[in-house]
Amino acid sequence: MFVTRHIPAEHKDLIHDVSYDFHGNRMATCSSDQTVKVWDLGEDGQWNCTASWRTHSGSVWRVTWAHPEFGQVIATCSFDRTAAVWEEIIGEYGKGNQSNWVKRSSLVDSRTSVTDVKFAPKHLGLQLATCSADGTVRIYEAPDVMNLSQWSLQNDIQTKLSCSCLSWNMSRMHPPMIAVGSDDASPSGGGKVQIYEYNDKTRKWVKVETINIVTDPVHDIAFAPNLGRSYHLLAVASKDLKVISLTPLSTRDAPLAANQVNSNKFTIKRVAEFTDHESEVWRICWNVIGTVLASSGDDGCVRLWKGKPFTITSK
Amino acid sequence: MSMMHNVSRAVHDRVNPAVVKTMYCNCEGAVNALAINRDSSLAVVAGRNVFKIFGIEDERFEEKMNLRVGRNVNLNFSASDVTWNQNDDNILASAATNGSVVVWDINRTTKSKQDYVFTDHNRTVNRVRFHENEVNLLLSGSQDGSMKLFDVRKRTVTTTFVSGSSVRDVQFCPSVFSYFHFAAADENGNIQIWDMRQPDRVQKQITAHSGPVFSIDWHPEDRNWIGTAGRDKSIKVWDLQRNKLLYTIHTVASVMRIRWRPQRRYHIASSSLLVDFSINIWNIQRPYIPFASFEEHKDVTTDIVWKKEDPHMFYSCSKDCTLYQHVFKDAKRPADHVTPSGIDMNLDYTVSHAHGERTLSTDKHSSGKLSIFHKKPSRSDHFTQAYSTLHVHNCNKHETSLSMDWFRDSAQRYLLKGFSLDKLCEQNAQVAESQGRYQVAQSWRMLMVLYSQSLYTAPQFRTLSMGSNSSEKTDADKGKKDAQKSDHQDSGNNEITSGSDDDSDKEIIKENLSSIARGQPSTEWDILFDQDQLTYDSLGDFDKGLQELTLPNEAFVPRHEIKEHPNPLDSMPNGHDSPTSANESEGNMQNLQHSSRSNVDEEVLVTFSNDMNVPNLGFSNHVVDMLYFYAEQGDVQTPVCMLLVLGQKNRPQIDIATQENWFMSYIDLLGRFKLWTISNDVIKMSYLPQISMMNQQSTRIPLHCSTCNKVLSRVGWLCDRCKTVINTCALCHHPVKGQYLWCQGCSHGGHLQHMSDWFSSRKFCPAGCGHMCEFT
Repeated sequence: MFVTRHIPAEHKDLIHDVSYDFHGNRMATCSSDQTVKVWDLGEDGQWNCTASWRTHSGSVWRVTWAHPEFGQVIATCSFDRTAAVWEEIIGEYGKGNQSNWVKRSSLVDSRTSVTDVKFAPKHLGLQLATCSADGTVRIYEAPDVMNLSQWSLQNDIQTKLSCSCLSWNMSRMHPPMIAVGSDDASPSGGGKVQIYEYNDKTRKWVKVETINIVTDPVHDIAFAPNLGRSYHLLAVASKDLKVISLTPLSTRDAPLAANQVNSNKFTIKRVAEFTDHESEVWRICWNVIGTVLASSGDDGCVRLWKGKPFTITSK
Repeated sequence: MSMMHNVSRAVHDRVNPAVVKTMYCNCEGAVNALAINRDSSLAVVAGRNVFKIFGIEDERFEEKMNLRVGRNVNLNFSASDVTWNQNDDNILASAATNGSVVVWDINRTTKSKQDYVFTDHNRTVNRVRFHENEVNLLLSGSQDGSMKLFDVRKRTVTTTFVSGSSVRDVQFCPSVFSYFHFAAADENGNIQIWDMRQPDRVQKQITAHSGPVFSIDWHPEDRNWIGTAGRDKSIKVWDLQRNKLLYTIHTVASVMRIRWRPQRRYHIASSSLLVDFSINIWNIQRPYIPFASFEEHKDVTTDIVWKKEDPHMFYSCSKDCTLYQHVFKDAKRPADHVTPSGIDMNLDYTVSHAHGERTLSTDKHSSGKLSIFHKKPSRSDHFTQAYSTLHVHNCNKHETSLSMDWFRDSAQRYLLKGFSLDKLCEQNAQVAESQGRYQVAQSWRMLMVLYSQSLYTAPQFRTLSMGSNSSEKTDADKGKKDAQKSDHQDSGNNEITSGSDDDSDKEIIKENLSSIARGQPSTEWDILFDQDQLTYDSLGDFDKGLQELTLPNEAFVPRHEIKEHPNPLDSMPNGHDSPTSANESEGNMQNLQHSSRSNVDEEVLVTFSNDMNVPNLGFSNHVVDMLYFYAEQGDVQTPVCMLLVLGQKNRPQIDIATQENWFMSYIDLLGRFKLWTISNDVIKMSYLPQISMMNQQSTRIPLHCSTCNKVLSRVGWLCDRCKTVINTCALCHHPVKGQYLWCQGCSHGGHLQHMSDWFSSRKFCPAGCGHMCEFT
């Protein structure tokens, strides 16, 4: 059912993240060996490493692609307390058909390890969110999309919990929204997932919800692509895998305006919970339309989940 | 991974005596350096404003002596480094920032314990070290570029060694390897090996770092190994014998101190000059993640000293004024908390997955209590053997439940315009059906039934009936499918369709009742429909007749009041069950009247289809529900295509913002699948200004005047500023207002026709510039 191919990644330490670009023909991997590798899908269906370079002076936790509208751009974040934005220089090929990536910007505001970095959905322009181990979420914006070297810090949010991951809500209908997960280990600390929303009037990010369903340390978090849905699906990887739905309290009969003040209330429901990994769930991702969820656990298995009565479809 | 480490930790750290624990004391001043005496019972801390000796007890540090006392507390009391004589417990030496080297004798009876001050250096002394075996030998390294060997007893400088630049660190070679050698680090990035007996020349010099070297440390076990660290944020291990770089660790900040861990060949402790306050213990075989880290200090850690011959304990001091005793069992293990896994999925469900491998047996189920008796691989072995494998799982094409082919296929094959609504719906239904998406196919057919505009011609009606037949067949198929794999979507479909049917039934009843209340002749439709059903089969032969039938105009007239009635087709499958008994008689009477007025049965059909032409609010709600239903499932393609097919007239009432959202999402998705042509079609067809605007952007290319370079605002051939006609034809000298053909070589040109005429017989430019234009 699945044809599995091994790729000699040749990273010298653990790989912490794998990320496809918008169209799924390029892939980036990042590792503790402080390098990032970019892989391109060849005509023959083989993945070829077209770039490999040292990006940080510490473990690189995450790598993520920007929307291709902004160019071939990736962002990385690292233990070395920085996040960086890289752009591929078109037309300059070094030896062995290697493409050339240059650092456009280094975001050095964090005082601790930067644990996640994510580009905002395209309709919000070129924005970048980072979160760090000391519990700060930072929102950067490149006011000029042609100039990737200039990022201004728009906001920093103190979450008061050590952050491990974040995810943008892709919805166009809803005001900008971010979910932040914490790997804080104390079970007494309450909910480990917080939802922040951008308030257009005050120009600030405000916390709108703490999801109390999740009290275990969170390793990864992901909003499903929203498409036309009126509710938001949030997958949370911790000790087990949970899918949580956030339904705005206003319904389609009373559509909420983007600037409505009282729009920030949700009905939060646990849609699904899986313990099949029988171990920590490390990473999760959705398919493009938000109907299939993939998770990878400490047991070394990849599991795909689908449909309303989520079922295992692959191991 | 974390789990297995926990297990092995318990095994591995068992050797650690239980009594020792992490403890600290406040020194009341930022500490620059730390030294402990021979038997690790006393510790001296020195800084700009602090110079104290603490006793190391089991539970705490106890202050024994404050050396910073006396009548004249000058700069000699502010130390940048301190060392304890390993042969005479009473002798200390400190290095001062004013260039003095101060020897202290804590046995002195006077209040001040200062024994002697060497003032031979003229700039800051960065390091002082006593020789391991020679009680009187003291070595210093200074900012002034020299190292001096003092005889403490004679109070003289025995030898001076001159380095090229400021000396940051000096360390005697462990005496088990060599009695005479020492290493020095300078600000130019060099390390030097000196022989005390040969002050005139350096034994060996290696350029180890780019930028100052801050710390060097001889390996306690391997005579040829030396560790170096510097501002370039790296720690390096050198083989002095072969002049070879063995290992490099890139850290996050400039490295202030390094100290090899006793009895652990590959472990080295480091602290940073700035930014990072923690002490990291690295395994040089895995240079990327610290093996252990200690994060107690709240400011920069300035010095680290291991307890003699004990790999589990060390002392550290910091700018945060504290002196710490660290115990290894309290260490943080950063590697346990890193995510060993990465996963992502692309459009075609190709999942790439990286996972940290465990090379050693780590079956967590068997490693319970018994594990203590097994020889477990050490934690260190586990640690260094970390690596990840990367796999790409390609989804098999035949796995239809995990495929986006339906999306591509539908996007490409759906007809959205250019035909009648019936045709479009039927085609799209077939597309959906061919993909096995019976629910979507059914929905398309329902749309066709609901909104069809051409029912009054019999062949079309036939099509309709075929349509419903085939959809019945679809239902049957679906049933089979359900039995086979009980797909949730299909069952959901069944529920939904039947649910909406029920709803519509109820609504019809309501409508009927209210109509009756209003006294309108309405309720016959169900019955009429019944009759249709009944008569239809028998009508089969009438096909020809129907086709030829010309309809009397009067038949339409009395139907105007019934505009708003629900579509009987909504209730088609359940028509028989509709509880219409209450008004049956009336309806029948009406029917009779109608029949009498329009003397043929077919007439009834005609009136019925006429009603279909009118937009009918009764079911548009259900269409809205249906569109939302698909959108809620994440299938934004279906509602968008349906909206497009329905067109202006039949479009149900949906919030504009929602519609825009659906369109944008669909266009995004198409872009993702690189279906740009289709995406552009959708934009073009869209009736929403926000959407159709999308391909109106950046479509303007401004022309500039060829003489004054001003943007041509009015027309493309006349410049408003210099009032000249530009782009004249080289042949007829008239302005070219249409297609302008010009040579890229000489930039002359003109009317397309003129140019092609000219070049049909000539090679050279018509303007006479002599350029041989290439005209193809």
